[in-house]
Amino acid sequence: MSLRLRVRFSKIGKIRFIGHRDVARVIERAVRKVGLPVSYSQGFSPRMKLSFGLALPTGYESEAEFVELPLVTDAVLDAGPVIVCRSGAHAPCEHEPAAAPPSYCTIAGALSEALPAGMEVSAATLTEGRGTSLQAAVHSCGWQFEIVDLDATSAAKAVADFLAAGTVVTERVHKGETVSSNVRPSVEVLQVVGCSDRGAVLSAELSATPRVVRPGELVPALAPAHEMGIARRTHQWTSGAAGRAEPAVPAMCAQRHKETISG
Amino acid sequence: MTTLWPRLEPLLPRVSKPARYIGCEDGMQRPDAGPHLTSWLLAYPDTYEIGLPNQGLQILYELLNERPDASAERTYAPWIDLEAEMRAVGLPLFSVDTHRAAGDFDIIAFNLSAELVYTNVLNCIDLAGLQVRSAQRGDADPLIGAGGHCAYNPEPLADFVDFFVIGDGEEVVSEITEAVGAWKRTGKRPGTRATILRDLAGIEGVYVPAMYDVAYDGPALAAVTPKHSDVPALVAKRTVADLAEWPYPRRQLVPVTEVVHDRLSVEVFRGCTRGCRFCQAGMITRPVRERPAAQVREMVTAGLERSGYDEVSLMSLSTADYSGIAELVRDTVTAGGAGGNDTAGGADANRISVSLPSMRVDAFTVDVAAQVSRARRTGLTFAPEAGSWRLRQIINKLITEEDLYGAVRSAYSQGWHRMKLYFLTGLPSEMDPDTEAIAHLADACTRIGQEYTKRASVTVSLGGFVPKPHTPFQWFGQNPPEELARKVRLVRSALGRNRRVQLKWHDPAASTAEGIASRGDRRVGAVIEYVWRKGGTFQEWSERFDLGLWEEAMAACGLSLDWYVHRHRDEHEVLPWDHIGAGLHRDFLWHDWQDALAGHGLPDCRWTPCYDCGACTEYGIEHMVASPVAPNGGSQGTGQDLATGHLVPVELRPRQLAGAGAPSGGGA
Repeated sequence: MSLRLRVRFSKIGKIRFIGHRDVARVIERAVRKVGLPVSYSQGFSPRMKLSFGLALPTGYESEAEFVELPLVTDAVLDAGPVIVCRSGAHAPCEHEPAAAPPSYCTIAGALSEALPAGMEVSAATLTEGRGTSLQAAVHSCGWQFEIVDLDATSAAKAVADFLAAGTVVTERVHKGETVSSNVRPSVEVLQVVGCSDRGAVLSAELSATPRVVRPGELVPALAPAHEMGIARRTHQWTSGAAGRAEPAVPAMCAQRHKETISG
Repeated sequence: MTTLWPRLEPLLPRVSKPARYIGCEDGMQRPDAGPHLTSWLLAYPDTYEIGLPNQGLQILYELLNERPDASAERTYAPWIDLEAEMRAVGLPLFSVDTHRAAGDFDIIAFNLSAELVYTNVLNCIDLAGLQVRSAQRGDADPLIGAGGHCAYNPEPLADFVDFFVIGDGEEVVSEITEAVGAWKRTGKRPGTRATILRDLAGIEGVYVPAMYDVAYDGPALAAVTPKHSDVPALVAKRTVADLAEWPYPRRQLVPVTEVVHDRLSVEVFRGCTRGCRFCQAGMITRPVRERPAAQVREMVTAGLERSGYDEVSLMSLSTADYSGIAELVRDTVTAGGAGGNDTAGGADANRISVSLPSMRVDAFTVDVAAQVSRARRTGLTFAPEAGSWRLRQIINKLITEEDLYGAVRSAYSQGWHRMKLYFLTGLPSEMDPDTEAIAHLADACTRIGQEYTKRASVTVSLGGFVPKPHTPFQWFGQNPPEELARKVRLVRSALGRNRRVQLKWHDPAASTAEGIASRGDRRVGAVIEYVWRKGGTFQEWSERFDLGLWEEAMAACGLSLDWYVHRHRDEHEVLPWDHIGAGLHRDFLWHDWQDALAGHGLPDCRWTPCYDCGACTEYGIEHMVASPVAPNGGSQGTGQDLATGHLVPVELRPRQLAGAGAPSGGGA
């Protein structure tokens, strides 16, 4: 039996400028600080076995990042189950719904404390068995993004035109080469949801197939003269037993918050 | 206090590695700014990933922020892409902590670790919105300071930097804070900038170039003399006597993005008396001051727990010389709570990797290698520095071929597949057989490696020797770039088709430019300014370096490259750094230079009688070492291992007292 701790975290503010490899390093250090019993690869150069959801482009914000941490099995006690860390034993949170997988809000809090400002762990749940990798399981992502200096009316018209089109070809730079492709099939939902002090705010649901499209690729088609402001991932969707589901939903328990955890 | 972040943020999506500019490190401080605080902006004039790990800067960052009357933030040179964006919108240089404008600070203090960053210093001053020349800055402008090893020859930057700190900074930054604080409280009134500069010149270890007149005699320097009677004729370095009183950094900055040394660093001792004659660090940081072993262990344990790192660097100029190094490495490996027993099938994941920079080959024993290899193996670099025993005697790097092979054998037998060997070319008296011997050593190392693994290989890294101030080789004329390039070719052809040896070399042209700044006088300032104005920033970076620009600048300023770089100096020449005191008697250096040419070695005074170089006697301080004898395996100055070494015996004469004249056979 393999046990994994599934962690949901955010990346908001200045920290949005660190890259995917940086995130992995920051999380490794946080895991060591908390003393989580995470298993390592074998051999002469053991590495922590982390597996992430879909990579987030550098500079994008997110409130729905996921990482799975495989646990050393004998560190999880059956009664509870309780996870034994270097700093102490953590039992599942009593405040969370009983039907959901066991949730460890004190671990979430300790991880948040160990992570840089702007990265906060909103859920840490226990998963059993060897499922598909998160990266393969995620079929679409929810986004919110700004288009700078664009008013809501123009944005609404641009969205309507976009959705009415059968194909929307945009260019992007891939491995140093400019590639053009049709992004329309990946756009499942696109709408204007309001305005920020920088411009129009849109939300979108973008499918991960046939290829992962990011909001930045839509902006040149929607408003060629405008730049994208801040884009934030709000969801990563997988197929669940009853329709779509997220790998973990934010825990409601107050114990996960940084400010409530001492030391 | 106003933050520039809202103006910086929209620029970041357009530049490479934006995480360089956000701060957010674990250990970052967000100090207040206010009229009651003397605010320092500690600047590293190269990219963030090079500058962040710098320990000197981090120590001062903590010390200053602990003071109730000071605050300190940090800045690094923005890469050219961000610089272009900043200049386009008029955004000035900023701190990474609170993103305040550099011009808002009372002091901008640069760390000078290498000469080729000098043009970046000017660029940073300019990006701060200030005049680059000290004389043109106003009363209310920040004071520009500089410290670090390159400050031991401050003259090339004398026209741009208001004050230099010579030596250890731990104590002197407090004195500077108090002086500048007092001036700040009077409102920095018009006309008082000269007053604060004169006050700073009165602080021990502080050099204020504007307080000195420079006289020339044709191309030669005649004298550097103080303008006022209360300004010292010789600015002597500051030395912290006891490292145990300074357990810093306590909260090492842990960056959120990759940097060059991404690990916990603990300084185990400062100073080195091995006496390698090319090594400026070893000469200017004497005497040896070891940190007590218990404090090192404490800093390792606390640092690992706080940072989440799984690798520790035990730092010094020659870490294997630390008293009790094998035990320290053993304890460090398990400092993360790992078990002491080796598990089958690989290393314990909780073990802490130990990295030992500046490892002397004669001390890298099987014991030390075995301890290090219990965790993830770190990269290994050995520095024989010269290929032949003859030349190693000249440079006083008295390690035998057997010492090297012993270390290499230790490493291969403990599971390493490759290692790096570092050599200098263009050393005094170097002849072609000396250079070719590098290939012979490398080849012999790979043969040893093949006894243990089919994958055995070595990387040979060649650096062109640049003579440095305050060393016995300060009088030596540097090899021209063509000669350095020829020596690289010599090694390459001597290696033949040995595919187990990978050859790398430092650009000889860059060594030439480094030579201009290394031993330059105040006139070289115009050259640095010329190169900077022509866009020559980030000269440490090979893709940005341009020797042609430096040659053009020298010509434009009427200066001769040959005269500054390639010329041998004689005993009585006034050197541009003669008014800066590194604690070393000038005649000690001269005699050591003569001894070098005669092939005479000099023992390590840590474990043998004092030969009075000046570093201790002038300051009333002493070595602080825990062990009265050299660590196992060390041969130099101890008589150990010498008989088993090489056919040529080491000559370790007791030195005559300095001033007693050159020994016989010591002619140049």
